[in-house]
Amino acid sequence: MTGPPDVPEAAPRRLESGSFSSGLTVPDFAACLQMGLRPVGLVQGFCAMQWGWYGAGSPYMRGMSPYTPQGSGGAYAQTWYCPHGFVSGEHRMWGQNYEQVWVEQAWLQGFNTAFGRLIEEAKEVGAHGVIGVTDTAHSLLESNVAEFHVLGTAVVVEGAPPPPKGEPWSTYLAGQRLAKLVEAGFMPISVVASIASVRVWAYCVTEYLMEGGATLWQTQGTAPVQDVEQVSEGLLAARAIARDHVRRQLGTDTLHGVTVATSEREIGGGDQVFECTLRGTRVRRFKDFDPIGAPRPTVRLS
Amino acid sequence: MTTTPEADPRAEMAAAAAWLAHGGASSEKRGVTSDLSIDEALLLHSIGWEPIELVFGVSITSVPVGVWTWGRGQIGAASDAHNLAVHTATERLTKECSTVGGHGVVGVRASVEVHPHHVEVELTGTAIRPAGAKPHVGRPFVSDLSARDFVLLSNAGWMPLGLAFGASFIYAPRRDAATALRQSTQNVELTNLTEALYAARESAMDRMQTWGLQMSADGVVGVHVTEGPMYFARHVMAFSAWGTAVHLAGDRHRYVQPDVVLPLDDVVVQFAARSLRGD
Repeated sequence: MTGPPDVPEAAPRRLESGSFSSGLTVPDFAACLQMGLRPVGLVQGFCAMQWGWYGAGSPYMRGMSPYTPQGSGGAYAQTWYCPHGFVSGEHRMWGQNYEQVWVEQAWLQGFNTAFGRLIEEAKEVGAHGVIGVTDTAHSLLESNVAEFHVLGTAVVVEGAPPPPKGEPWSTYLAGQRLAKLVEAGFMPISVVASIASVRVWAYCVTEYLMEGGATLWQTQGTAPVQDVEQVSEGLLAARAIARDHVRRQLGTDTLHGVTVATSEREIGGGDQVFECTLRGTRVRRFKDFDPIGAPRPTVRLS
Repeated sequence: MTTTPEADPRAEMAAAAAWLAHGGASSEKRGVTSDLSIDEALLLHSIGWEPIELVFGVSITSVPVGVWTWGRGQIGAASDAHNLAVHTATERLTKECSTVGGHGVVGVRASVEVHPHHVEVELTGTAIRPAGAKPHVGRPFVSDLSARDFVLLSNAGWMPLGLAFGASFIYAPRRDAATALRQSTQNVELTNLTEALYAARESAMDRMQTWGLQMSADGVVGVHVTEGPMYFARHVMAFSAWGTAVHLAGDRHRYVQPDVVLPLDDVVVQFAARSLRGD
């Protein structure tokens, strides 16, 4: 947990009031009671983050030189050079894809801070876990301010000892899907989310191809339609980096039910940002699961 | 007849929470990422397969300027760009699958967008393999079928081979002014439009089938067909067809004989609260 205003004063008062609220649907609520999960409170975490200045002169300006083909600190960077031999202020003689580590760190800090506050609230009510987690990240007021909101239902597992180190587990799942997960031998550990942000500064060939100039600038022996390698690599890198980020948080656990969200934003001519967000529930096998029999196909008469 | 004991969800949950409270550690050798639901993972498990990794394939292919200006007939460059983008994205997805030792990819979600100067294709799916199997020798399969459909297909003795795509772009043909005026008060088939659009549909499907045949497929299942004008070129109609190319893996098709289920519960009559107000 970072930052001084961890949990507002109203939160403990609400959570100690003796009644509970829950974000569960009625079927999910019924399924959780069936599993011995008793809802004890609707818990949330919130964080508003400002993105710092990353322009010229900032300490974050890295990976934007043709002479540093590799990103610093193991970050992704890839450089392309003009094949035409022109020297002109208007001709993009080099281009680069680079991972915007500072954006990823800011996003992760915002998410983790909000999530930490949700866990803090869950601890207040003595929960074993938080189920049915939902989270949102929106731009707020200004373009460089984002709000992170994480919401879930804190539950107590009846008859179970306290969670390890008092840290509640958490999952995006609830209801029957959670029951099936546990029955299949997996215990939820934590929700996991990560983002990858890749900036693409086009070099001349990419610029011409993306503006429909393939026939003008195609090099000898190439087809009029061709893969725009720099952009394709940038899009693929955003996805692969997001996957690597969640892998680092997983260890040898499984990330279940991953959802993938991607976005593309044009900053200016030949300057794009690709982002990819992965979310899922980190689960750990706690027992061997007997293989289920071959499913029996049925036809329903109605 | 043997019966399996009914699972007690309360006892299962308590046992899992107690295991975690006592510092339960992972027994797996490698982490897994998967976008499959728990139902899909269990279904794969029932036929001895397991998910390994979430995999991606992306391609942006350029479309030369001038392709969308008025003309006649089919637009070859646009079809070529579409074809190349899908092919390249599939190759990248297959490569990712091979890298993690997958035997194939299921549940592939395909996003294809045609823009004035490029075609963008994104493929996302989960690489799978027979449980504990060594890396696949040869080309992994790629399928947009769900895990449920994959299990059903596999039980029937068939296996997916890859995605088969076909696209066709055509300029909407125009009548000359005199013909349009003469026909303005008639019920008449617009034969030039019928022929052009019919031919374009056939071309898309033909390309898809050709792609399937190149993979030595016996057929293509789960075919999706899309059509319509494009937002930036209303005078151009786009048709695409894609599905999963399959082949018979065994000697012959195994008939899946489903049990017939006749639900005995009454049809629920929904109560509409607004009816109280006479709406």
